[in-house]
Amino acid sequence: MSKAAVLPVTSPLRQFWLKWRFHINVLLLAIPLGFMPKYFSDAALFTGKLGLGERVAGEIPVGPWSLTLAEFRKEGPVLQGGAGYIKDFSGALCKSCISEVKATYLRIGKPRSLRAAGGIFFGSAYSMFASVPIPEKTSPDAELWVTMEGWDGSMHQASIPLSQASPATYQWLKQQGGTP
Amino acid sequence: MSKKSRSKIWFLVHSWLALPIWFFVLIVCFTGTLAVVSQEIIWLAQPEVRANKPDGDPPLLNYDQVLAKVREARPDVIVSSISRPDEDHFALVVRVDLPDASNTSLYVNPYTGRVQGESADFDFRQFTRALHGWWLVPFTNGFSWGWYLVSLLGLPMLASLVTGLVVYKRFWKGFFKPVRLRQGARIFWGDFHRLSGLWSIWFIAVISITGTWFLIQALLFDFHISISSQGPPVIVAREAVPVVAQSERPPMVGIEDAIARVALQVPGLEASSIRLPGNAFDPLSVGGRGWYPLMFQSASLNPYSGEILSSRLLSDRTGLEFVTESMRPLHTGDFGGLWIKMIWFVFGLLLSMMVLSGLLIWTKRTALATAAAVKRKPRFERPEAQVTASSESHS
Repeated sequence: MSKAAVLPVTSPLRQFWLKWRFHINVLLLAIPLGFMPKYFSDAALFTGKLGLGERVAGEIPVGPWSLTLAEFRKEGPVLQGGAGYIKDFSGALCKSCISEVKATYLRIGKPRSLRAAGGIFFGSAYSMFASVPIPEKTSPDAELWVTMEGWDGSMHQASIPLSQASPATYQWLKQQGGTP
Repeated sequence: MSKKSRSKIWFLVHSWLALPIWFFVLIVCFTGTLAVVSQEIIWLAQPEVRANKPDGDPPLLNYDQVLAKVREARPDVIVSSISRPDEDHFALVVRVDLPDASNTSLYVNPYTGRVQGESADFDFRQFTRALHGWWLVPFTNGFSWGWYLVSLLGLPMLASLVTGLVVYKRFWKGFFKPVRLRQGARIFWGDFHRLSGLWSIWFIAVISITGTWFLIQALLFDFHISISSQGPPVIVAREAVPVVAQSERPPMVGIEDAIARVALQVPGLEASSIRLPGNAFDPLSVGGRGWYPLMFQSASLNPYSGEILSSRLLSDRTGLEFVTESMRPLHTGDFGGLWIKMIWFVFGLLLSMMVLSGLLIWTKRTALATAAAVKRKPRFERPEAQVTASSESHS
């Protein structure tokens, strides 16, 4: 205020400032206006109007069944606190296997047993989600393993290259400089 | 410092708290007011969300009957949850997944089980909440910076309340002072601002304190500080899932059976939300309000046997959690049905008007002061502070 006081009252710049200084904050409205397209595209993603996710990787045959795998977001893994880097995938079961499949899991590298099959898919057979921990030292050429377990106790596995499942994760791992 | 100049400073502080950001504060107040009644606005706009009672006074369907009706009417969908809104003029909300990977809410008549419609593509409730709560800034990692922007307003709002009461001399005598209508806009808005401020003391305190809690909540989350006494979510143990010879999901206990089991352990729980298992190892959850209307209680059951695996009751909460978990319902007015919401709506409108009236007082007063200053033709303009403060002492 004290600096302003030395300006003559007639300065048009100062008059303009005095008149409009408290209305500049109307420009804050640009923030929600700017984010509105992003808000609506996110809303469409979350309600599945865009399908399983931002990028469908393809249908993976797993024994007698199959899983349509997608990246929820077309991006590399995200650091989630103490849990480390996590990549979210989404998936859908083949229509004919919905009643037969008890659980579906995703893991980087081949699981040694059903108990270490990786991140379990959560949600309905039409649209389910799994979070897969991605250790920073993972080789970019690693495989993403799908393990499916039937209600009758049967188990089937398949894998696809990580570069196919998520090119963004592949790129991210390359930058981390991981070795096999 | 004299008593008079001290009150001038308080007055200036009061003015400066909202004035430079008045439009932002106004929009936040107004969208918050809309958010309080967003469900009611949807009720008005979309007949499908209404729970019309058919002739003949039929009883409410139970959850098992509702689930059966929905599955019969829409065999293509997979139901994920059923909830009974607090106010009985709303239809049941059944969350479902569709074969094309989309999800939606079905509105189901609580008496007939008829699927009346589904949620509109544009979710008005979610949109007003997002605009009010975080200015639409996306949450990428932790809380959105828009959330901080909005929740920071709790502090100047609380300060506005305190300084407003300090500068309003003998405010406790002003509750029944009439608003002077015929003495010009400046007088009218001044009277309006003071009178609505007095009657809104409790509301401004509630909104600003709970708003500040949202700021603290975000800070706690982003700095990974937990004050929760709640354990990690339970899952059904692998051994507890039945092994079946045929390749088909084993049958689940009935929802009403589950509610009855929970009621034995938690008397007085009104089951208003049912979440069906999200996978083979996920429990069935039953939730609802108890004697304390601001908080929910819930229990998780093994969906195959009905055994209760865990519960989160009022008695499990710490004293601190009673305070912190009450903050959100107090902020939104969503804890006691339509009438509480209407009170929050009316006072929300008043609060929005207080921002506007404060601005109008300032501009009218500044205009007067400027006119006076021009008449006197000073060599240099006096600092704004003095102009304002001196004009205040005249009013």
